[in-house]
Amino acid sequence: MRLGGTVISRRSSGLDGTVKGNSGTPGEPAATLPKGISTDAILESISDGVFTVDSHWQITSFNRAAEQITGIARHEAIGRRCADVFRASMCESDCALKHTLATRSPVVNKTGFIVDASGRRTPISLSTALLRDAHGTVVGGAETFRDLSLIEELRKELSGRFQVGDIISRSPAMRSLLELLPRIADSDSTILIQGETGTGKELVARAIHDLSPRRAGPFVAVNCGALPDTLLEAELFGYKAGAFTGANRDKPGRFALAHGGTLFLDEIGDISPALQVRLLRVLQEKRFEPLGGTRTETANARMVAASNRDLPLEVEHGKFRQDLYYRINVMRLELPPLRARREDIPLLVQHFVQLFNKLQGKQLQGVSAEVMAILMAHDFPGNVRELQNIVEHAFMLCRAGTIERSELPRSLIPMSRTESSPGKMLETLQVASAQALRMALERHAGNRQAAALELGIHKSTLYRQAKRLGLTFPATDGRHHR
Amino acid sequence: MASIPAPPEQRRVAITVWEGRISPVFDVCREIQLVTVAAAHVVASRKEELGSLSAQDKVERLAALGAQTLVCGAISVPLREALCVRGIEVIDFVAGEVAAVVAALLRHALPNPKLVMPGCGRNGNSADPSRRGVRQRRQCRQRGR
Repeated sequence: MRLGGTVISRRSSGLDGTVKGNSGTPGEPAATLPKGISTDAILESISDGVFTVDSHWQITSFNRAAEQITGIARHEAIGRRCADVFRASMCESDCALKHTLATRSPVVNKTGFIVDASGRRTPISLSTALLRDAHGTVVGGAETFRDLSLIEELRKELSGRFQVGDIISRSPAMRSLLELLPRIADSDSTILIQGETGTGKELVARAIHDLSPRRAGPFVAVNCGALPDTLLEAELFGYKAGAFTGANRDKPGRFALAHGGTLFLDEIGDISPALQVRLLRVLQEKRFEPLGGTRTETANARMVAASNRDLPLEVEHGKFRQDLYYRINVMRLELPPLRARREDIPLLVQHFVQLFNKLQGKQLQGVSAEVMAILMAHDFPGNVRELQNIVEHAFMLCRAGTIERSELPRSLIPMSRTESSPGKMLETLQVASAQALRMALERHAGNRQAAALELGIHKSTLYRQAKRLGLTFPATDGRHHR
Repeated sequence: MASIPAPPEQRRVAITVWEGRISPVFDVCREIQLVTVAAAHVVASRKEELGSLSAQDKVERLAALGAQTLVCGAISVPLREALCVRGIEVIDFVAGEVAAVVAALLRHALPNPKLVMPGCGRNGNSADPSRRGVRQRRQCRQRGR
């Protein structure tokens, strides 16, 4: 029998035989193993899992490492369908062996995960090859796979990144915030998360829930800005049958659904004054009444609120109740915008490339240096969500290799002049200049004079350069910061 | 959109399906057969696509469909927990033809040693027999869901 380019003779169970050749063409000179050494011994000695399947996808051999990685004894695996044994993330939608058998081409180092008998996900990489008999006829396929758990752990250590739940960062500002989360999660107090749109407020709320003693309970999220007031009231508190036209049966509200868990109220700054009063009552008394109901129900949900508005300012302008603000502001977390933690951009780009590789079945390597420079210089008003959308846009256009400048959204490519600039050095210089100008302006709250002083240039030079680089100045000029 | 709950004498069971068999991994499954059973008969059956949903959204979808039991292949621990929390009983690590699994379900013969994934220890010869099985299902039920 021939495995990939190697002919293997096989006994009834497991691989066992001598290597006769090392090319895929029948009749080529054979490279014989020393006497007494069988492929069985080789397969048993390696640390990679190896199994073979016949044309009916049934396992015909299963080596010792395969037993160890999957936790399945050989005698249980042999004769069973490979998907039932291997249980990999790609079995159903993107089977590597099926691809190899259909195209006659091997798959190399495809990554995914398997689920073992204890429900643990183990990251793996796998490769496939055709299995041929001594006449060169394809009789099945072979798959080798490697446990990547240790490598994955080491990679995380080496990258120096800090991760809580789905939040990834290496920025010191985020790190101190994420380190707080376990302690915050332990209490049952209300939390207010503030941050611009797209900074990951819901991810933080979910991480708090997952770290809290309520993690076995539900996590219920409501976007208060997405619903009109009357609907939001029904959504939050629920209603009884007959409460209004069309209310044919009782419907539990989000407070009831979050019982024993966490209720996340996003965009809380958008709710009307009338609803603010009802919400305040629930927070104070831990009780509420569904619409049309006569009986008071108990609210047993930890509340996490979020807003991208400046709530103290809203209180000052009388748009948000002061007493409600103090009630939700027991602990306040401020998520920095992405432009204030640019060191996270490469990490997030890498994360999104891996994510879309998995989702779209591609194997892109990442982004080119030029693309990274453009991303590093961008302001990201839409924050992490905008970065994710940019990578997703590029994924639609890029088929293989690395994402190039031409695959970025047009709005992101900074200056039309750069298009015609000869040489990459000049381009890189322009991108770096743009970034330096933007960061200096940020540091001085938009104060042009102070930014120019820091950069060692005259204010008029700063204006000229900003115009040439296509930069727009912040709305505030920051002169009161002088 | 939430479904109308099954009447008390009926049970709504979601079965993950792939090529006429139980899908190997719930976390990435793309289709379920939603079967309503009553008095050892299937009274309704329909397919539901889950293809584009994230793993967490699959859990939410099953809850919204009013599934009381999930019959599936392998499933990772967080998803199993999430289903338990939503009151959905999980009969996991099931393998075989969907028709055979439905027949066993009607006979109240699930879990069944003949319809179990290899290595999952129901017949005592698993590579790691202590790791799963009846105990976990009992824990799920004990949560009163």
